[in-house]
Amino acid sequence: MMRRRAWITFCLAALCFGFLPALIRSEYFLNLFLMFFLYVTVAQSWNLLGGFTGQISLGHSAFFGTGALITRLIWTAGVPIVPALIAGSLSSVVLALLVGVPCLRMRSAYFPIGTLALAMIAQITVANLFPLPGSLSRGYLTGYSMLSRYYLALLVAMLTVAVVYWIVRSRTGLALVGIRDDEAAAEAMGVRTFKHKVFALMVSSWLVGLGGGIFAYHQVSYYYSAPFELSWSFLPTLTTFIGGLGTIAGPILGAACFLGLSEIFAISLGEVHLVVFAFTFILVVLFVPGGLMSISTKIRSLTARIARRATRV
Amino acid sequence: MGQTLVYGVLNGALYGIIALGIALVFGVMRYLNLAQGSLIILGAYGILFLFHLGVDPFASMPLIAFLLFLLGGALFWASFSRLIALSEAGRIKNSLLISFGLMLLIDNLATLLWTGDERSITPAYSGLTFGIAGLRFPLIGCVGVLSALVIIVALHLFLARTYFGKSIMAVSQDHEAASLMGVNVNLTCLVSFAISVGLASIPSALIGLKSFSPTVGIQWFNKGVIVVMLSGIGNINGVFPAGLFLGIMEAISVYFFGAPYREVTGLVVFVLVMVLFPKGLFKRQEL
Amino acid sequence: MATLLEAQGLYKFFGGLTAIKGVDFHLNEGEILGLIGPNGSGKTTLFNLIAGVFRPDRGSIRFGGRDIAGAGCADVCQMGLARTFQITRPFPLLSVLDNVKLGRAYGSKPARTLSLAETEAIEILDFIGLGTKRSTGAGRLGLIDRKRLELGKALATKPKLLLLDEIMAGLNPTEMEAASNLVIRIRDAGVSIIIIEHMMRAILKLSDRVMVLNTGEKIAEGLPGDVIADKQVIEAYLGVDTHDAQS
Ligand SMILES: Nc1ncnc2c1ncn2[C@@H]1O[C@H](COP(=O)(O)OP(=O)(O)O)[C@@H](O)[C@H]1O
Ligand SMILES: [Mg+2]
Repeated sequence: MMRRRAWITFCLAALCFGFLPALIRSEYFLNLFLMFFLYVTVAQSWNLLGGFTGQISLGHSAFFGTGALITRLIWTAGVPIVPALIAGSLSSVVLALLVGVPCLRMRSAYFPIGTLALAMIAQITVANLFPLPGSLSRGYLTGYSMLSRYYLALLVAMLTVAVVYWIVRSRTGLALVGIRDDEAAAEAMGVRTFKHKVFALMVSSWLVGLGGGIFAYHQVSYYYSAPFELSWSFLPTLTTFIGGLGTIAGPILGAACFLGLSEIFAISLGEVHLVVFAFTFILVVLFVPGGLMSISTKIRSLTARIARRATRV
Repeated sequence: MGQTLVYGVLNGALYGIIALGIALVFGVMRYLNLAQGSLIILGAYGILFLFHLGVDPFASMPLIAFLLFLLGGALFWASFSRLIALSEAGRIKNSLLISFGLMLLIDNLATLLWTGDERSITPAYSGLTFGIAGLRFPLIGCVGVLSALVIIVALHLFLARTYFGKSIMAVSQDHEAASLMGVNVNLTCLVSFAISVGLASIPSALIGLKSFSPTVGIQWFNKGVIVVMLSGIGNINGVFPAGLFLGIMEAISVYFFGAPYREVTGLVVFVLVMVLFPKGLFKRQEL
Repeated sequence: MATLLEAQGLYKFFGGLTAIKGVDFHLNEGEILGLIGPNGSGKTTLFNLIAGVFRPDRGSIRFGGRDIAGAGCADVCQMGLARTFQITRPFPLLSVLDNVKLGRAYGSKPARTLSLAETEAIEILDFIGLGTKRSTGAGRLGLIDRKRLELGKALATKPKLLLLDEIMAGLNPTEMEAASNLVIRIRDAGVSIIIIEHMMRAILKLSDRVMVLNTGEKIAEGLPGDVIADKQVIEAYLGVDTHDAQS
């Protein structure tokens, strides 16, 4: 029942976004939607680790950046984009295994600052190794098609949502939320918690690495350290918390709000949307741990109750 | 090499003072205040503002300290006070999240108010140096070391000798026992949080005299938190030596790997310490 | 009767404190062993050693013939040893059903599919009397239901040996009666049990054998009636720790 509804929503979304470019030709809107897909990818992959497994990472910019860096280097060396993307995302997983896994050995309350430190190390190191911006050469520019970027980003976003949904509904997903709620209790019920956390981290870094690859494929010219900027760690944390931690729809909703606000304010006031989002984030952490999603379920149950009372009368 | 070490010591003293504020709230409440760096930068903008009105940075420091103290109290009252009842892990995690939001809030407000440009406070004496035994000592850096020593001794005396300081120490050891002994835990936490934010004013001035922009707060926070971890949690007296240690280590790494990797050194040490000693310096084994 | 669990010369230190001091004991299959002692005497710590939370500093623990000292909690659980926590530990954001389902999906004899796990979890919930609350969030349960759920979570892992840590504390006499009957039914279903309880009446009724800890040492062991008449035991409860015995 639940499963069928999710399936239908998923297919409808694929159809709508698939045919959108036929209706909207504006480069601006295609760009906007591409950013939406990218934000959804980043936030949803973060959600698997932070929302469902309870390991709040402030280091996802390192995995995003690695995916971008390797994809870009391989792609601009002449390899087609799809293999480059796969290689890039896998290198994010390798980084996660090398440096992220040790962080999981820390007390989990320290995981956020441990991963933050890693993200800063990665950013500084890449900025030092690649001080110049990487621009596409003439050959790549003449063949540049917005549509192929749009569809690849859509594909990656749909893949991310599908993978996270599938994991969360599986046996493993049950263990992950158990770890989030009480690690020692999960362990006492036979869950090998460390192994599961490593799994969540690997999948999360793989998906966010794909997102990084999309960034590399989309941007014409950028400093190689740009996708390593800490904002790529902060963004998924903000949007997922505000949308609804540990729900599939939450990060999507959060990403949409973030993008919408930033577009509205971009015209007039620069970074106001970040101020609004930071403030909302604090309020959510303090007062509404379920984010916008919990507000919507509360409203729904409230209206249901009112409707029931109305029919009874 | 000798000159490098001088700079290492001067930087280390600054790291020590930054860490003091972080260590105080972490020791007393197990709150990790990620926004401490941003509050420091906020103070620097305040000092810069007064400097443009003709006030000397060191003269405006007490006023800024007082304003930050009030701001700290208000922040605690409005948000952080709600976490006191949580478990230790819950306090670390939630204070980290709230202060993360606070950091973004302050940084972006600062960008709106003062743009993202790099600023610096430049009184006539800002570039002065003097030489001893062939080494050059920048005046402001030395003032920094001195003020660090003064503040640390003052804080130590405050904690060890005054009634209020003793109640802070009592709360830091055991909330429940302290409240049973008649200490007002909430008030103690509020005041120690406010003090820690007030302490930010000293690095405000010292960093303000170097250079700053709205988003560098997190980097200074990082220096502070590395020092806190190195000195051992809750060990306020260890903060200054640990700061010097980090400063000197950075200086040595600059000597070997070059300036670009200076920031990386401390971070790598930090991650290694956290990974190799996952239980931190807590003695009690946890269930 | 075969021996299911056997511990020899167990020691556990916390810094300078010796929480468990040279404890030997064994448990036969199908038996209920009562574990009593004043507060702070090391009962919970002994459970933590058996369940793999701590590695004993000295001594051995054999479960079904295999040495389990120092094996992780998850491994011990998968071998068929489940425990409840004295301070209940539900997964607060999950539904009551999912709490128990997790045990059916992992534990010692995991169900083959998740939907099978769900069916079996519902059976367990009916057995412990939480059937009607299966979709309630576990964080919103009252004390008694939390205790029930704690038991349900342990049962869901299909243990051969169940460690029960003060599951009756805070219950009223009727609820305690119901809980005792539940424990007996669990034993009759073939699960061996070690039970920590403060209420002597419950211990006397349930246990085949009783073991007494005091400041980490085993001071008595035997039939329930003999143990409570033991002079050392009476001293431990009344002489030294008067306050604990009262509370
Ligand atoms: N994780 C721990 N760290 C340090 N000391 C502990 C720990 N767990 C228990 N203790 C100490 O060990 C002793 C025995 O405690 P416990 O086993 O909980 O007693 P009981 O369950 O019999 O009341 C107590 O003095 C307690 O303070
Ligand atoms: Mg106990």
